[in-house]
Amino acid sequence: MGYTVALDVGGTFTDVALVHEASGRLWVTKTPTTPHDVSAGFIAGIDKALRLAGVEAASLRHVLHGTTTATNAILEGKGAATGLLTTAGFRYVLEIGRHDIPRRANMFAWVKPARPVSPELIFEIGGRVTVEGEELEPLDEAGVRAAARRLREAGVNSIAVCFLHSYANPAHERRAHAVLLDEHPDCAVSLSSEVLPVFREFERSMGTVLNAYVQPLVAGYVARLVEQLRPRGITAPLSIMKSNGGVIGADVVRTQAIHTALSGPAAGVIGVRRIGEAAGFADLISVDVGGTSADVCLVRGGEAEVTVEGRVGAWPLHVPMIDIHTIGAGGGSIARVTDDGTLTVGPESAGAQPGPVCYGAGGEEPTVTDAHLVLGRIPSHLLGGEIPLDVERARRAIEERVAQPLGLPLAAAAHGILDIVNNNMVGALRLVSVERGYDPRDFVLVPFGGAGPLHGADLAALLAMRTVVVPRHPGVLSTFGLLGTEVRNDYARTSLQKPPDYDLGAVGAVYADLEGQARAWLAAEGVEPAGHRLTRLADLRYRHQGFELTVPWPEADLSVDALVARFHERHRQLYTYALADAPVEIVTLRVAAAGRVRRFTLPSLDRRGAAAAQHPRRRVYFAGVGWKACPCIDRERLGVGAVVTGPAIVEQPDTTTVVPPGHRATVDRVGNLVIRAGARRPRGPRYQ
Amino acid sequence: MSRARPARRRRVPALDPVTREIIRGALRAAQAHMEAVIERTAMSPFIREKNDYFAGILDARGRVVCGTMVPLFGNLMQIIFEQYAPDTMRPGDLYWYNDCYGSRGGVSHSPDMVFAAPVFHRGRLVAFSQTWGHFWDIGGMRAGSISPDATEIFHEGIIVPAVRIYREGVLNDEAFRIFLRNSRFPEILKGDIRAVLAGCQLGERRLLELFDRFGADTVLAAWALFEQQCRDTIRKTLESRIPDGSYESEDAVDGDGMSDRSFRVRMRLTKEGGRITLDTRASDDQARGPINFIMHPSVPKLIVGIYLLSGHPTILLNDGAQDAIDEVLVRPGSILQPHWPASLGNRAHTLARVQSNVLALLALATGGDVPAPNSVYNIYFLRGFDRARNEFFLCSDGVAVGYGARPFADGLDAIYYVAQKNYPAEFMEMVFPLRLRRYALHQDSGGPGRFRGGAGVIREIELTAEEAIVALRQDNILFPPAGVNGGHAGRPGSCVVNPGRPDERRLAPMSDGNGLRKGDVLRLSTSGGGGWGHPFDRPLERVRRDVVGGFVSVGAAREDYGVVVDESGTIDAAATEALRARPRGPVRMFHRNSYFGPPVAPLQ
Repeated sequence: MGYTVALDVGGTFTDVALVHEASGRLWVTKTPTTPHDVSAGFIAGIDKALRLAGVEAASLRHVLHGTTTATNAILEGKGAATGLLTTAGFRYVLEIGRHDIPRRANMFAWVKPARPVSPELIFEIGGRVTVEGEELEPLDEAGVRAAARRLREAGVNSIAVCFLHSYANPAHERRAHAVLLDEHPDCAVSLSSEVLPVFREFERSMGTVLNAYVQPLVAGYVARLVEQLRPRGITAPLSIMKSNGGVIGADVVRTQAIHTALSGPAAGVIGVRRIGEAAGFADLISVDVGGTSADVCLVRGGEAEVTVEGRVGAWPLHVPMIDIHTIGAGGGSIARVTDDGTLTVGPESAGAQPGPVCYGAGGEEPTVTDAHLVLGRIPSHLLGGEIPLDVERARRAIEERVAQPLGLPLAAAAHGILDIVNNNMVGALRLVSVERGYDPRDFVLVPFGGAGPLHGADLAALLAMRTVVVPRHPGVLSTFGLLGTEVRNDYARTSLQKPPDYDLGAVGAVYADLEGQARAWLAAEGVEPAGHRLTRLADLRYRHQGFELTVPWPEADLSVDALVARFHERHRQLYTYALADAPVEIVTLRVAAAGRVRRFTLPSLDRRGAAAAQHPRRRVYFAGVGWKACPCIDRERLGVGAVVTGPAIVEQPDTTTVVPPGHRATVDRVGNLVIRAGARRPRGPRYQ
Repeated sequence: MSRARPARRRRVPALDPVTREIIRGALRAAQAHMEAVIERTAMSPFIREKNDYFAGILDARGRVVCGTMVPLFGNLMQIIFEQYAPDTMRPGDLYWYNDCYGSRGGVSHSPDMVFAAPVFHRGRLVAFSQTWGHFWDIGGMRAGSISPDATEIFHEGIIVPAVRIYREGVLNDEAFRIFLRNSRFPEILKGDIRAVLAGCQLGERRLLELFDRFGADTVLAAWALFEQQCRDTIRKTLESRIPDGSYESEDAVDGDGMSDRSFRVRMRLTKEGGRITLDTRASDDQARGPINFIMHPSVPKLIVGIYLLSGHPTILLNDGAQDAIDEVLVRPGSILQPHWPASLGNRAHTLARVQSNVLALLALATGGDVPAPNSVYNIYFLRGFDRARNEFFLCSDGVAVGYGARPFADGLDAIYYVAQKNYPAEFMEMVFPLRLRRYALHQDSGGPGRFRGGAGVIREIELTAEEAIVALRQDNILFPPAGVNGGHAGRPGSCVVNPGRPDERRLAPMSDGNGLRKGDVLRLSTSGGGGWGHPFDRPLERVRRDVVGGFVSVGAAREDYGVVVDESGTIDAAATEALRARPRGPVRMFHRNSYFGPPVAPLQ
């Protein structure tokens, strides 16, 4: 029996987890991320984990990886030079977009973000297909050839193809693909009918273009990883986490690069799912708080919600992704008082450089981390003493830049910074719960990332959530997600069905086709047929509506009644009402394919009980209580069943957990810290 | 009744800056949630794809606390209060109207419907949750309710005075059915109203949570402060940027589709001893066609407010902006204050000239530190009967224009308005009997300038039904958006049927009843925005990029920008230098056909 290694590359550290597949024995470590060439840190991480476990490279059976290569390329505008072939008459599909100024923007001040492909690299190709998929005009192959030559001469090697109505008939796009390769053999081609076969040409073009835009980088990066694994004797297959929470093989990434846009965050959510499983909770809300941002996601019945209307940076990205809501709120978020006396926190961040004031690396504007430090909530050094923090400097920054301008005492000002950042996060938590028709009080909050456990109990109190589960290793949760993941792919096709004459024969045929693709893919990923899990879904809407809701359609006989009832119910849950007498249309059919290739069980904690009662104490400020001497407990000394009564601070190298007054924390079987409010039920708003 | 416990002294929590910021965030979140529900569930293409709706939060007196960044609204609640005293309102009530004259310009054309739900916290009326949507068809002389042929408000659909459509959660079904019976598309209308109602009711719920959490006194104190912040920021900025004096401007709507003349909007802004007056009384008399605009005094104030708040993203635009101008003078019977029952359907044409006038006044006062103006958006209506589907069809397609260049950036290419989206080609062809043949940027339409005006668009459709009738509303052809501070005016659009064919014909920009047959092509080109700064000061690289991207032609690069460049982007440096060295002649603040206004000093 062999080993599996999982790596998650973050901005500062690369987290590594190695597990012995038979026994479940786990080794966790981290190495510095190497931004100039991430693969160096990646390889160093594997070496370190192997050394730690005393394991030979040859005994690795799987290498799993979550990457931010695609996201960073999009956010930083550093993707490959990309060309686009579009239907004649639509060269400006990207420039025009949806022709709006964003609702919250000032019409006099807003500037349109630069498109990933500029018009001179967009080529109009003759040929037209109708909405029903019938050919109206044949494809202008000479035009494709000419475009290919121009792009080849311009050194553009990644080409997106998006023709009108190709979701209904991909023949023109496929033919264009062949012609492009014929004329420009080195180019990589992304077809909209493969990347995102769903109607609305701007969003589909953008999804396809983004795939082409990140494809060379992602493919090159993955190839480099594979290249460096081989000489070390690691022949295990490399798998990459996708935005939908599944993994795909390194070779498939080449054609599905954009599906890794949320690779890292998705791994975190899957990790949360595993923590929930082990702790006995299936309904969870995760909040991953890092240096610059917080990622929030809702998991219900053990499954993460998936969206097909996501965004990355300024762009719509309508491929299936775990519904992770990101806001600019983290430890590095900067607190500022504006001219008109408003205290704002974030979204601007001090990042890793210069970082918070207390790092002493040149940061002058106070951050959330500085506020925690001044209030005694974090120790005066990080990572077990490796990084000392300058409390005095942080205090001065908050005093001068926040407390004095607002006329507040220092502690109140520092706490105000935390209140505001907490409320920003509550906004995100409400968005994934209340605004999706779920009551957060029915969920358990799982805070993770370096700063999550500092905020967890306060966030839960603000939403009247009763339970907070702080994972044993909150800093490396993403690697657990990678270890516990499945292979997963989604298949979709728009097939408009109007009542009362739903063509169920056609529906069945589309499903059969999608399922055929899904099974072939699962087999190629090495999943035995018995392990294939296919789920049929459908996007429905009331006639005349412009947005659809995705609901499952498990009935083998394609019972429309059950499907429509499910739609009415979901509509009511989300939007407060259903229209029982309105006709319902079926718009897009989907098949979600999953297969488990390995099993990973969280190891139990082998310590029992609490450590000796003597803990160092530190003065910590709590709202409504004031300064209070609190025990600072080393998490490594807490065994299964240990109880921590708040106020208390629980410290570990990768994070700090605050147990506020009136709260109790207990350690569960796998080492999670489960925090609950004390005898008094937390009071809070009602959610309907 | 049980006896109340002895009253404890109520503690008013201090309104610290933290609480304030949290309340501000909660308001914005509530508003976003209301908007999401409307957008996701509405049925008309107008609301669901185009997103022609807004949601706002008002205080108990009807003052806007958290509104939208568009200068479009007047006092939304006054007409309701005149019919229903606040002390007669109860939880679960919902009020509704679209009465333009009754609301004195609260709404300014009949398809815009206002809904407002009172919010009660512990028995006390504390707020209104309000939504507003443009409805697809509310009757009137033509499908879609708006037509250039309309000469009376009665031609533009059913008028709903302020009514209470829900009383304590119970629908007034009789009134509702009368209303629905007056629409050509009742199913869509009903779906839209259900969506807008849901938004309103959700807003009420979110507001109650906010009041529960902080208590009414704290929340209301914060609201008062937001208004104060908005007022102070605007007044302070005005004080520092507008010198005392008197400024005059004039612009004109091309026509009303009925008479062979244009309609001038004239303004004079006077600032003296801290008091600002805007006098619009010299504007032309009202029109017979539907371009009349009941300009609520809020409208110019909001334009000034949005302009002045552009550097202050934390300030909520609200009723604090009402103090931007102390007095707005209008003349009854003028195009900005028409007598009942003048038609109002295309009032956006006149609103655009109100905006261009206000920007021109600010340009004069600030030495050109304003955006150049833009054209009003274009809309065509395609109406008919689709025999293939056996149903009436109505396609009302809003088409973008180019926005004005700014002192810091080019104008926005292809913009319709804030928050309003286009119909995707694949949506159009799925729903309407037509084919979208071309959707492109309108080359050379953006006003040349150091910063280029945004380009308009070209939208070309082919009819696939047997026949249809087209109504067109287009403006800024005779009077395209002016250039500012040395920039040139935007270039106008046009609308042509069957371009390049023997039966080619031009459609009048404000016209209805134009027939189309199967296979006919309609090509609508729209105006670009005004340019800013002299075009010879535009960096060569930007001109080059505009040429290779197709925004500017090789010819216009030479004529307008003095840049000799070929289609591949190769610049002839010597020829360019020679062209740009030519004397510029006197450069003035504004440009349309030629320069006018006060002189502008050359760029240092």
